[in-house]
Amino acid sequence: MAMAIDSAFDVNFSSYSTTTTITTTTTEDDPACTWNDWGSPIVDWDSLSRERDEFQDLIESMMDDGTGLELARVGHETSNSISTDTMFADEETNGGDFKGLRLVHLLMAAAEALTGANKSRELARVILVRLKELVSPNDGTNMERLAAYFTDALQGLLEGSGGGHGKHLITNGPQHHRDEHHQTDMLAAFQLLQDMSPYVKFGHFTANQAILEAVTHDRRIHIVDYDIMEGIQWASLMQALVFRKEGPPTPHLRITALSRGSSGRRSIGTIQETGRRLVAFAASIGQPFSFHQCRLDSDETFRPSAIKLVRGEALVINCMLHLPHFSYRAPDSVASFLSGAKTLKPRLVTLVEEEVGPIGDGGFVGRFMDLLHHYSAVYDSLEAGFPMQGRARSLVERVFLGPRIAGSLARIYRTREEEDSCPCSEWLAAVGFKPDNISFANHCQAKLLLGLFNDGYRVEEFANNKLVLGWKSRRLLSASIWTSPDSDL
Amino acid sequence: MFQPKKPSTMNSHDRPMCVQGDSGLVLTTDPKPRLRWTVELHERFVDAVTQLGGPDKATPKTIMRVMGVKGLTLYHLKSHLQKFRLGKQPHKEFNDHSIKDASALDLQRNAASSSGMMARSMNEMQLEVQRRLHEQLEVQRHLQLRIEAQGKYMKSILEKACQTLASENMATGGYKGMGNQGVPDMGAMKDFGPLNFPPFQDLNICGGDQLDLQHMDRPSVDGFMPNSDNICYGKRRPSPYSSSGKSPLIWSDELRLQDLGTAPPCLGPQDDPFKTEQIQIAPPPIDRSTKIESISEIYEAKPLLSGDGIGEKKFEASPKLERPSPRGAPLQTERMNPVINTGSVTQGRNSPFGLSIANI
Repeated sequence: MAMAIDSAFDVNFSSYSTTTTITTTTTEDDPACTWNDWGSPIVDWDSLSRERDEFQDLIESMMDDGTGLELARVGHETSNSISTDTMFADEETNGGDFKGLRLVHLLMAAAEALTGANKSRELARVILVRLKELVSPNDGTNMERLAAYFTDALQGLLEGSGGGHGKHLITNGPQHHRDEHHQTDMLAAFQLLQDMSPYVKFGHFTANQAILEAVTHDRRIHIVDYDIMEGIQWASLMQALVFRKEGPPTPHLRITALSRGSSGRRSIGTIQETGRRLVAFAASIGQPFSFHQCRLDSDETFRPSAIKLVRGEALVINCMLHLPHFSYRAPDSVASFLSGAKTLKPRLVTLVEEEVGPIGDGGFVGRFMDLLHHYSAVYDSLEAGFPMQGRARSLVERVFLGPRIAGSLARIYRTREEEDSCPCSEWLAAVGFKPDNISFANHCQAKLLLGLFNDGYRVEEFANNKLVLGWKSRRLLSASIWTSPDSDL
Repeated sequence: MFQPKKPSTMNSHDRPMCVQGDSGLVLTTDPKPRLRWTVELHERFVDAVTQLGGPDKATPKTIMRVMGVKGLTLYHLKSHLQKFRLGKQPHKEFNDHSIKDASALDLQRNAASSSGMMARSMNEMQLEVQRRLHEQLEVQRHLQLRIEAQGKYMKSILEKACQTLASENMATGGYKGMGNQGVPDMGAMKDFGPLNFPPFQDLNICGGDQLDLQHMDRPSVDGFMPNSDNICYGKRRPSPYSSSGKSPLIWSDELRLQDLGTAPPCLGPQDDPFKTEQIQIAPPPIDRSTKIESISEIYEAKPLLSGDGIGEKKFEASPKLERPSPRGAPLQTERMNPVINTGSVTQGRNSPFGLSIANI
């Protein structure tokens, strides 16, 4: 439990409140390390000596049995942290920051109660009730809205017992209840998401730039897209192909999109529609284009033989995961796809996935806090760019982020005993793909793209073949490129 | 971005005198002896860093241990590691704030800090800088084009969806009552009380004066939103929901959308041509007739918002994309809707790409 608490306080709370700078890195690592070491800020607890506050009382009042020990420790330390807050905060924002922190601690306490050593579901229930009184998904600060979604997700866990039904639709498949969103909602939210944040564009453009560079001299290009969704990524690729200066002009582009037999695709339309759209768009700009579909089995194993290959074409595998508006794809499915793809000897593999913090052995609570931190950064990034458009952000949160939070949380909860699948990029390396360099132009483009948005976004290059997009010190999304070990480049 | 501006210890202008100490370290002889990162030393450094798993995993402490060079302190390693991280590939360093000077500065810094490379002559560096600048400008231009292309594509999605909704609405005959709006996910949130506002029902994404009733695929949701026909782009409608009379969702003029420059416009209001700056998202009253306004509004707002400066540049940069269009508006939203008072955009242009919604 101590571990969980420590890791919780290592969380960079400065992302929650705007006026506090709780976290400082006083380690010997140079400042450039802060990006990596988001998890290790130092707070000088000893220097603070404010009196206990109502949070302690709150926790104590919630404890009816002996589970209070850990929580008392939480309470003690939170009183310190809260006083840290109040030391820096203005008088007006004092309440706001305080509340934000309190929410975090309540959430953490609920998470602990759900899965901690003393599985006190009753306690969790109580905490969640309290939380629900404090938060709403539409009003309030980022933290409050975020807490609302997390609360609801936790509630789903509580009721579904980690299973996945109950009256909450949030539990099992985000896909399932995402479909319930009206198309207009989703469209609007998606448009908003794209305009308010660089996540989608970053993933698409980085991959596209890598693809363009890899196929500069090819006449025929074949892209196998793992999850084409609405096909937006390819609009800009086509545009770039039509106007490219080097190499054979206007190469033929072929896209094969994987489609899943099982419905529950959360998207604006079907794959066929996407295909039609892409065909129309290509025609409109004069790009030779053809579109194919490859159906996956119900268990989503990928059979490479199902892909029609043409000699002389450059094969590219495109794998977008975890963009905010995407559905969840099980790691097995992704793994099956990528291994199968390897046998096809693609020229290039582009992978975009979300970055998770170090899993460590924080268990469920650790991962819970990591998730909280992740989405807190996302919320902050949206707010920083669009502070006045609270409703718009609420919509995006409701349509995309909320379901993801719930889905991720449910998955974390279910798989907390076993090791979660490692990031796909590590998996790719392990399977034998070779990293391919991110070019100067690509990195440059990413920086320029971020320059269109808020200052807080960072792009960082990792290990030569990966660009990581992050908000302040939190890494959020990474785009990496790979080649087959023996592809003919 | 982190830009250490301290003078490099290895400025090519003033090469301090160096002596080699017993430990093999080369130190300068100025009053404050500074460590000189020779090629050898740097190679050992790189080796150690690689052993440790890369510059991001390695820390000064571990590097020191692995290198095992006497006289090398944490401070040396700290700063060198930092430079190494930032400049290990000097080509990649790029400052987007001030392209010109920063590039020069970066290159100089990187050339100096990557001690594995020999110091370059000023000429070489200048050429390099110019090359980089040119490349950056190219990238910028391409980025604009790509964003526009994406925006255009998005528009086609929205238009189709709008048609779908409009046709469905015609079929269903309009209002289905507000109430629960059949949005099931609300159930999950009902603990938080009813939403204060319905979702983007008022996002008018129907285009054109006349709607094509061609039947599109129905959206895969049964919770059909009752007011989709009345989704109004918030032009002049008071919201029945909002007690204050203001729209629940307000896009203020200070929208960062303006700063988004070439990003395709979303719901950004237009200052001049559009009267209001509000996007209403409350459902209009039942008796209101549908005022169809074009989704192009959404997109048009952007290039115009971004100011003619950027806008114009952008337009010029993409002549081919906009073949017949005199103004070269990259986003083919232009003439979507004559209803829209788009003062600064010529109306009645045909979409060169055959996406003429208005003719549907």
